[in-house]
Amino acid sequence: MDRQRTTYLLLLVSVVVILLLLSGPVLRRPGAAHSQSGPRLAGTERTASVAVRAERLVASTPCTGRFTRHALPHATTNGTAAVRMFNSNGSGLAIDDLDDDGDEDVVLANLAGPNSILWNEGKLVFRKQKLAHGDSRAVNIVDVDGDGKQDILFSRHTLPPTVWRNLGGDRFVEGMLPGVDGKVYATNWADVDGDGDLDLVAGAYDAGLEKDLGYNFMFTRSGGGLYMYENRGAEFVGQKLSERAEALALALPDLDGDGRPEIMVGNDFDLPDEVWRRSLGGWSLIAPFRKTTHSTMSFDLGDIDNDGVQEVFASDMKPYDQNVRTLAQWRPMMAQMPHKAFRGNRQIMENVLQIQGDNGTYRNEAYDRFVDATGWSWSAKFGDLDRDGFLDLYVVNGMIANDLFHYLPHGELVEQNRALRNDGHARFRHAPEWGLGSTASGRGMSMADMDGDGDLDIIANNLGKPAELFENRLCGGAALLVDLRQSNSPNTRAVGARLVLHTSAGSYHRDVRVASGYLSGDPSRIHFGIPDDATVRSLEVRWPDGAVSVAKSLDVNHLLIVTR
Amino acid sequence: MIGRHWESGGSFIRELRRDPLVQLLRPREQARLLLITSALGLVLWGTLAWQVGMPIWGATTMVLSLLLVPGARKWRADLRRHGVTVMVLSVILTMQGFHSLEHVAQWVQYHVLHWQPQRSSGLISAANAEWVHFIWNWSVVGIVVLLMVRGVRNPWAWLMLVWSVAHTMEHTYMLVRYLQLKQELGLLGVPQISAQGLPGILGRDGLLSTNPTLMRICGRVPGLTTTSRLDVHFWWNTGETLLLAAAAHRFLRTHLTRE
Repeated sequence: MDRQRTTYLLLLVSVVVILLLLSGPVLRRPGAAHSQSGPRLAGTERTASVAVRAERLVASTPCTGRFTRHALPHATTNGTAAVRMFNSNGSGLAIDDLDDDGDEDVVLANLAGPNSILWNEGKLVFRKQKLAHGDSRAVNIVDVDGDGKQDILFSRHTLPPTVWRNLGGDRFVEGMLPGVDGKVYATNWADVDGDGDLDLVAGAYDAGLEKDLGYNFMFTRSGGGLYMYENRGAEFVGQKLSERAEALALALPDLDGDGRPEIMVGNDFDLPDEVWRRSLGGWSLIAPFRKTTHSTMSFDLGDIDNDGVQEVFASDMKPYDQNVRTLAQWRPMMAQMPHKAFRGNRQIMENVLQIQGDNGTYRNEAYDRFVDATGWSWSAKFGDLDRDGFLDLYVVNGMIANDLFHYLPHGELVEQNRALRNDGHARFRHAPEWGLGSTASGRGMSMADMDGDGDLDIIANNLGKPAELFENRLCGGAALLVDLRQSNSPNTRAVGARLVLHTSAGSYHRDVRVASGYLSGDPSRIHFGIPDDATVRSLEVRWPDGAVSVAKSLDVNHLLIVTR
Repeated sequence: MIGRHWESGGSFIRELRRDPLVQLLRPREQARLLLITSALGLVLWGTLAWQVGMPIWGATTMVLSLLLVPGARKWRADLRRHGVTVMVLSVILTMQGFHSLEHVAQWVQYHVLHWQPQRSSGLISAANAEWVHFIWNWSVVGIVVLLMVRGVRNPWAWLMLVWSVAHTMEHTYMLVRYLQLKQELGLLGVPQISAQGLPGILGRDGLLSTNPTLMRICGRVPGLTTTSRLDVHFWWNTGETLLLAAAAHRFLRTHLTRE
């Protein structure tokens, strides 16, 4: 090789190497930071004796490989002909067994019309009970007073939340939570201070308050922001953690594995999401995520790869395909969206899936795992819909806003809800064959076994159209449902407990929580999907106080009622 | 051999002077005029962009027009000295060089200055339009074919042809999508909304990244389906410039010696 050629080859190689090095982050291989570490459960290894009662689940209706849609007798209404911000945000719902008859009941919030309880009479027959008023956003079903009966909490537009205390049967009495005076939007519950009872965490939606109350609301004592209300039995004592909040979502995960929940606030617009950590010195902000959603609409946590570590999913707005017709519907609206300066901005306008690496840091892998784009997404939740042992994802979407989408018929961005099937490698595939592509503009959404046959059904609270129940008629798999009860604790449904089901096909991790997604309450009954050929070995329960119980000799397709 | 080659800076400079590309460039020949027009251009650019408030793309276009003067003189000299083929080669090398500089500017705006993607459109942002990219890239293909017909045929030139055709295919796909989106926006009654900036075949949200079969088989292919549009085109142009330079070097080495 002559010298001239060698010189130029060397120069060429140097240029390419320098450019490759500069583009390192762009070319990083997906999943490189993914953790394979095991569960990090905190607390002492005390054992707790429990009584386990098993009830056989009812036989499933013949499977069709699809979900069957049922309209429910409730529609969230706006009260005006044209939907404008922030009525576009609609309302949530919650699912739990309110009357202890073994069936999951549904509570749906409303804006202009009354809220509804749909009492589950079995076989997907519901009896509707109207509650006195609407004007509600989030719904939580939670035993507020520790009397063993599940109460209902509604957050409201411009007023503090109301609680409907359960008197048994279908009787409720409406009241306020003493000491809770914040005009809050998103709410969630956990034993945040570790004293055994459930505390309320609540975030305001400042933009909505400003629109309805004027800018002065900020200067009132109970104006916007983020609150932690400590449950002291007779009353709640509030602490304002953040002066500003645009909270559409709140999650209370234990991200650092110290046995105490952190507070994750999902803020709309440019206001960054926040994560608050409690230590001996009080609450402080931490930043575990390098990238977050821009307009965070919902949070959910789930162990999508069954490695014992929960992943964090947050939904945002991004067209779910690159079809020009879809993009044309989004473009004019996006051109109006305000964007802060780009430098140092951690926010991206697409869904994020935070996956913890070996060193404990999180990395967004939503794009790598095909869950970055699900439309104008609202409630998004994990659940093992096809009972193959892996958590799938369902996202409701769509938007109605005459001011934003004046160029679309009725000001509505019509989108199909997205069902995303976990392929067993923690990557997701769109599953239109499941028949879950409703276009009814869903807002709140939750999953539960509504017909007692062992699979997860889905209920969505739509804006302007009847709520929908999607009956799961997918084929294959088995299930185990678990109810936890703590008879000697004010936290009667063991919110914060973590469960591990060990099977021959792997171990599945779940936890008991009050709310997730967007404004939506979760059932306290835990669902495990089990692949066809797998056998159950044991169920491990780590109670909120760290004590552990193990149940063995379990049969599939049963509801276990585990009482401590 | 390499060690010996680098043992003194002086011998390297001598080698460089003998390089065919540098011989074609003849840096000393137009240096004075180039320096004067560059200095004038810089002053003009600063005045127009900072004092008059002209958009950066406008000021940059004015400066480029000024630089056409030494450029035209240089290409005329090339024509007289070496003939049409070398002159065309000289023109395309210069133009592609400037085009690549524009992509480097975009790259710096996005990765170094952390501007928003839609703001990171280089120095002549008005030229960052689908039509301009489409016409420019087809022109490059045409010129490469012309050069090959006129004897610039070597392995680098063939590689350059393949690369530039692939690059142009991507821009053709993007132009088709741009026109479709424009039509859709017109149907919605909002024709004033920009339809620029759609992903192409490669990169993040590109055609390959949304292909179900590919998704099933390989998931995300690092770089190929994950890189941003801005980076994709930075790489296309970096490759194109390097291949063009290599092809020109190989051709000129024999051609200039023969002269």
